[in-house]
Amino acid sequence: MKNKRYAIVLDTEKCLDCKACTVACKAENGVPLGRENYRNWVEEDELRGTYPNLGQSSTPGQCMHCGNAPCKRVCPTGATGASPEGIITVNDKKCIGCKYCMTACPYNARYYSEKLEAVDKCTFCQHRLAQGRLPACVETCPTKVRLFGDINDPESEVSKILAKRRSRVQKAEMGTKPYLFYLI
Amino acid sequence: MENMLSKKLNRRRFIGLSSCALAGVAVGSQVKVLRALAMTGEVANVTAVTEKEVFTSCGMCVNKCGVIARVRDGVIYKLDPNPHFLKSRGMLCARGNSGVQSVYDPDRLKYPMIRVGERGAGQWRRASWDEALDLVAARLNEVADKYTRAGVMFASSEGFQEHFFLTFAECFGSPNTVRHASLCLASNMQGFGATFGSNPTPDVLNADYVIMSGANRSEALITPDSIDMVTGNGGKRKLVYLDPRFTKSAAKADEWYPIAPGSDLAFILAMIHVIVKEGLYNRSFIENRTVGFEALVPHIEPYTPEWAETECEISAENIRRIAREFAAAAPRAVYYQGRRSSFFDNDTQMRRAMAILNVIVGNWDVKGGMVPTQTIALSTHDYIAPWYSRLDAGTATFLSEKDGSWKHFRDRVLEGAPYPVKGMMVYKQNPVMSVPNREKTLKMMAQMDFICTIDVTMSDTAWYSDVVLPEATYLERLDPAHALSGIVPVVTYREPAIEPLFESKPNLWIMQQLAKRLGDEVYESFDFTMEEYLEHQTTRNPAILESLKKTGVYYEWTEPKYGTTAGQRLKTPSGKLEIYSERYAERGLDPLPVYSRVEQVPKGKYRIIVGRHAFFTQGTTQNNPYLNDIMPENTLWLNTREADRLGLKNGSKVRVRSAVGEEVLRLEATEKIRPDCVYMAHGFGAMSQGLSKVYSRGGCDAALIEDGVEPISGNVSMHQTFVEIMPA
Repeated sequence: MKNKRYAIVLDTEKCLDCKACTVACKAENGVPLGRENYRNWVEEDELRGTYPNLGQSSTPGQCMHCGNAPCKRVCPTGATGASPEGIITVNDKKCIGCKYCMTACPYNARYYSEKLEAVDKCTFCQHRLAQGRLPACVETCPTKVRLFGDINDPESEVSKILAKRRSRVQKAEMGTKPYLFYLI
Repeated sequence: MENMLSKKLNRRRFIGLSSCALAGVAVGSQVKVLRALAMTGEVANVTAVTEKEVFTSCGMCVNKCGVIARVRDGVIYKLDPNPHFLKSRGMLCARGNSGVQSVYDPDRLKYPMIRVGERGAGQWRRASWDEALDLVAARLNEVADKYTRAGVMFASSEGFQEHFFLTFAECFGSPNTVRHASLCLASNMQGFGATFGSNPTPDVLNADYVIMSGANRSEALITPDSIDMVTGNGGKRKLVYLDPRFTKSAAKADEWYPIAPGSDLAFILAMIHVIVKEGLYNRSFIENRTVGFEALVPHIEPYTPEWAETECEISAENIRRIAREFAAAAPRAVYYQGRRSSFFDNDTQMRRAMAILNVIVGNWDVKGGMVPTQTIALSTHDYIAPWYSRLDAGTATFLSEKDGSWKHFRDRVLEGAPYPVKGMMVYKQNPVMSVPNREKTLKMMAQMDFICTIDVTMSDTAWYSDVVLPEATYLERLDPAHALSGIVPVVTYREPAIEPLFESKPNLWIMQQLAKRLGDEVYESFDFTMEEYLEHQTTRNPAILESLKKTGVYYEWTEPKYGTTAGQRLKTPSGKLEIYSERYAERGLDPLPVYSRVEQVPKGKYRIIVGRHAFFTQGTTQNNPYLNDIMPENTLWLNTREADRLGLKNGSKVRVRSAVGEEVLRLEATEKIRPDCVYMAHGFGAMSQGLSKVYSRGGCDAALIEDGVEPISGNVSMHQTFVEIMPA
């Protein structure tokens, strides 16, 4: 059997931009208060048109847990690593706070935590997974924008929906091989 | 129930273990796993090890979603949605998640406080509970002796322990309870009640066609509608949305119309016109289940789509098309009534028109239509009829005895007639921030001999009080069971996740202590524990309490029931759905909704409109640290073109002036609003320094909005104020 490879599939059509995922993540992961500290986000996309012909979408995001992670390559101490399931991790004991990884990340998915004195980021709520629970952002979402699962298991919901519907990844041209898939 | 759960929440299957299955189970084995992972650096931080999981019910807004509070070392660290609570579709919103901060926010009220300086000057001293309670009891008796017992008003808002506050008012002997309904949904209840006999629940989940006006469900979250609006019917339904603002609901709608404020009634009457004229109504349904259709036919004659177009600025062609589509989709079509209906002084009649439109397409009590609101009966204490007449008796045509009308009540306090009201007890309500025309509220409070506020934060109202009593937050309380009505009604429950912090106390305890001080005959009504109260509530069906303890919820059925009213009398005078209201005619009101144009925006001015955010609950959560991070300040929305015309820069400070007040806040030049309107989010510009994050930040809408009133229900009308804007 193949190793697990975790991924998130997002259906942004359903996103209300209510920020439930953002607050849930902060509480779950003890992310310090302050707008500059975050592990995930919802971005309001640019407003289309002029009054009264308008349209707008919103795009939630977080660490893309890249298959070819630039943050990992630039880390001088090996603090950034990857779990067997593809979760990009930061070992705060090894992190020296040089923030190279923050510069290298094309998704702006990392922040420096004064509390940990280390760079911090999304872990797909690894500790919750170990308890048999979903990542906080996935669970709390009113309209269930995010689906989480093992992309190597063809029977998983993420695999099934990706087989059925077209999707894209952010900044594919950078060759980072992200594991956050946005349904089109 | 299990079926319903797996259907609604089947994404859990990948993990094969619902979070509820973990409730109460020791998780020692996971600690080992996590420690091992941490050693290798694979887990950033091994902290999230659950020690205790407690069923509770969210207290951050009115939806009361089922919650599992996760507690570690005596600290609540995370609130998760309770998957057994079907009404929320297994979610917890930003506010729900931020509930942790309501407990640990440094700004929360910690001790009883007694004012020492001038009212509103913010000089307080900490007092013992005994001293504070003795003082409150003594001052209440003084007011009662000097005036009458009706001379004390009791202002409160919904909550699981509000019942004890209302019971206290009754035992004290005052009929003057003033609740939030007349700032919110009073006209809605009235308009739909007059037609249906009750306020029905729209079956958004199963509707194919939904029209929303005055209900921004992407931001004013109501479960399950906000979710079903997006995900129900596989997202294939049509949503037509009317709003002067391009809200997040507009962004989700199939069609958005920036309707001229106050003209929704014209749009609806024209829809009725089309449906009647073209024979698209449900004939047999109208014959069997309704009264007054024959009066409707001539009544709608003048309300053509062409006429409506000039009123509401939606083209006759679109009105016709929407009416036809709506009728074609019926009975799986709803004109969604929304909740807050405090817009214009025609609001009750506008809601009547919405109700009539729903009735004529025959969507009553069927899948995807307007479904009778169901509830689960709990045993309660009976209320004794009060001795005196309410102060605001005889103001609105159909005034609620329990809720009153804030606008009329406040006016009469200021007049001192028909009798003086000189004492004010407040529980979980913030009239200074929420009742339009703040200056008047402050004047009303200034003439009080005594004001006591019970709350969890130093609201603006608490700030202007004489005694402030700290209530324990919802996460620190065992509360009464609470029935939530809907298509699938549910009973919810709250166990305390932790003991109350500091010296905060549950409201029941506060009421008991005050009752003791007022005498044995008052205390008799409070001589019970919360555990006894819970048992009493569920005497007729002990299964309720068992289920609450086991799953945090109780259901009698988990799938919607339709057709339950077939052959039954409805709670209207005729027992049928009332298109024509004899009761209204008898009271001199229009028995069918008649349109009249609202006052138009004068040149050089803008209409100020209010609305909601998914981040805040009325005027209560803006100071929450998590939520304040999302939106630290409110802005004044003004259409980009108008901002340019006035030479006002985006982000610059502007002065907003109405006939009753003036506020300064930052401008947000945006395409998302009609050029004749401005909008600001509610709950900012606080006067209380006890709300450190919103004190003096942004502007307060209540300071600007004039106190218009809808005459049938006594609801305020918040969209009838015009403002000037100038650089600050």
